Amino acid sequence: MEHLFERLTDAIQHATGYIYPNEAELHWNILIVIYPYITGLVAGAFILASLERVFNVKELQPTYRLSLLTALSFLLIAVVPLQVHLAHPERGYEMFTTPNPQSAMAMFGFVYLWYLMAVLLLEIWLDFRKDIIQWANESKGLKRLFYLVLTLGSKDVSEKAIEFDHKFGKLITIIGIPSAFLLHGYVGFIFGSVKANPWWSSVLMPIVFLFSAIVSGLALMLLVYMVSNWVRRKQNAMDCLDKLSSYLLYMLIIDFSLEALDFVHRLYESEESIHILSQLIGSKLFTSFFVLQLLVGTLIPFTFLTLTKLVRIGDTARKVLYFASGILIQIGIMSIRWNVVIGGQLFSKSLRGLTVYKIELFGMDGLFLPIAILIAPIFILIVVVKLLPPWPEAELSK
Amino acid sequence: MSKLKEKYLAIPEQIRIVTVLFAIFLIMFIFGRRLFIPKTFGEYGHYRAAAVDDIMQIGLVYAGHQACAECHDDVVAEKSQHMHKHVACENCHGPGYAHTQAPDEHPLTIPTDRSYCVLCHSYNPARPTGFPQIDPVTHNPDGACIDCHQPHAPQPPEVPEECGSCHERIVRTLGAGHHNSLPCTQCHDIKQEHKITPRDFLPTVPRTREFCGTCHSTKASSAKEIRRVDIVTHGENYFCGQCHFPHNPEVKI
Repeated sequence: MEHLFERLTDAIQHATGYIYPNEAELHWNILIVIYPYITGLVAGAFILASLERVFNVKELQPTYRLSLLTALSFLLIAVVPLQVHLAHPERGYEMFTTPNPQSAMAMFGFVYLWYLMAVLLLEIWLDFRKDIIQWANESKGLKRLFYLVLTLGSKDVSEKAIEFDHKFGKLITIIGIPSAFLLHGYVGFIFGSVKANPWWSSVLMPIVFLFSAIVSGLALMLLVYMVSNWVRRKQNAMDCLDKLSSYLLYMLIIDFSLEALDFVHRLYESEESIHILSQLIGSKLFTSFFVLQLLVGTLIPFTFLTLTKLVRIGDTARKVLYFASGILIQIGIMSIRWNVVIGGQLFSKSLRGLTVYKIELFGMDGLFLPIAILIAPIFILIVVVKLLPPWPEAELSK
Repeated sequence: MSKLKEKYLAIPEQIRIVTVLFAIFLIMFIFGRRLFIPKTFGEYGHYRAAAVDDIMQIGLVYAGHQACAECHDDVVAEKSQHMHKHVACENCHGPGYAHTQAPDEHPLTIPTDRSYCVLCHSYNPARPTGFPQIDPVTHNPDGACIDCHQPHAPQPPEVPEECGSCHERIVRTLGAGHHNSLPCTQCHDIKQEHKITPRDFLPTVPRTREFCGTCHSTKASSAKEIRRVDIVTHGENYFCGQCHFPHNPEVKI
């Protein structure tokens, strides 16, 4: 008990103005920051895959399988930050066995399961089915056994069956788009429906989250595609990069407009919370809001991407600009998540004071754990890509 | 039978496999679910009823203020008449369940430390207006709070001798001017309750020329060194306070 008092006293000393005692320490920490960030990447990567599949954007074909596998790698990790933060992962299954339909958070478990099992895994399996059968036939030993299990007993590689795969896969992608929207829109919904928090409570929240998710996913795929080509010493397909960056630019503009709309709307409404919120972004969130989110994460990549569209620039320079934009946008989207999750807890519900968030390095609340969680999907992706090569030369069906 | 089999085989292989797998998964889930649900789940509500028994096993720490009233009814009665009536006994005296079971073995603490009261009463501009606040550095620095204040009936030990305990800036301004020697009550009618709930009992503020005239009129019987004006003609229709600031009435003539 004593050490709790000491922590509380310490935290209160860093607060400015008046805060309630239970606001001195933040309950949702950096793990909850990376959770919407990761689900956003999943939703965004899937939307990119659907562009090729459903909307027939042929230039994006080289990224199709890669983005499905990327979405899967990140989705497998998406709930880990939540599980770690709640500190009782062994109870996680209870949300399925005793579901509470009144809780949006509990219902997310089903959205997640649906998205993982019915959309992503099924689509990947259908798309790779013919290749898996082929690989099973060609390989030996354990590898053969592995691929045989992956075939799930299917053997039919007739033209008719392959055509059916494509049709069925397209149907799943069509179902997948609203599912991806649901997956990430839900995360925004959770924040947007917290009535007591004026920084969160907004009907625009799910939509803003969704578009920022698409932006982050497209930027991620731009990076993954370029890095994978660099590792494999292959040339980037420039028309694919150009198309991908165009979509990235459009989505960035929509996302920025929505955020700006939300911001201006708050300013114009000027509710009683406006004073503390302007103090918040003017002091505690100044760097992460104005510098990282707005300047580094939005305006600079916007300028870069616009430049590549308006001015004739050589391939190498264009690639540098695309890559830089991808990195900067990731920083920007991470800042958006930070500003929402941490920013929303930095001001008192009394609207009279601000607290601070001091991050530790080690332990469950530390900085290293979320970094490890963020890196994990990259390793998963490396393994998945080794098992199911998404590259055109490995693709046997075409 | 063969017709059924034919129809089944007409379904593409992938669909058959996926459907069968999903069906197995679903059946396993529906039946497996029962194994994982605790026996007493849902008896009272959306939770494990046996959890209530588990929670009951956890030892009590707080007794609640009704328990205090059983022995200390005089203190509780006194407290209920004063400003701390909504502050629970255990807020200051600590968890008291053990004390209710064996009073002598578990005496409760009486916080006498100055640092305790200021948790609520140190000056903080964000606290509500009228909430009693002090600066612990300058406010009677050597004494314990309870030397002057009775925590069960917290009243200021005496009415603040000066209005300056709250209106410090006005008192400082007054000190620089001719009205320095006047008590605040010379001009303001202040009810005693103003010191407890200031906003509910606001002091009066003089609003007429005649009021200032009681000292400053040429006809007034006040001390002769006090400056006089003909309040009928001086300043025409303006009220005195519109030109003269009464807390520091230094006017150049």
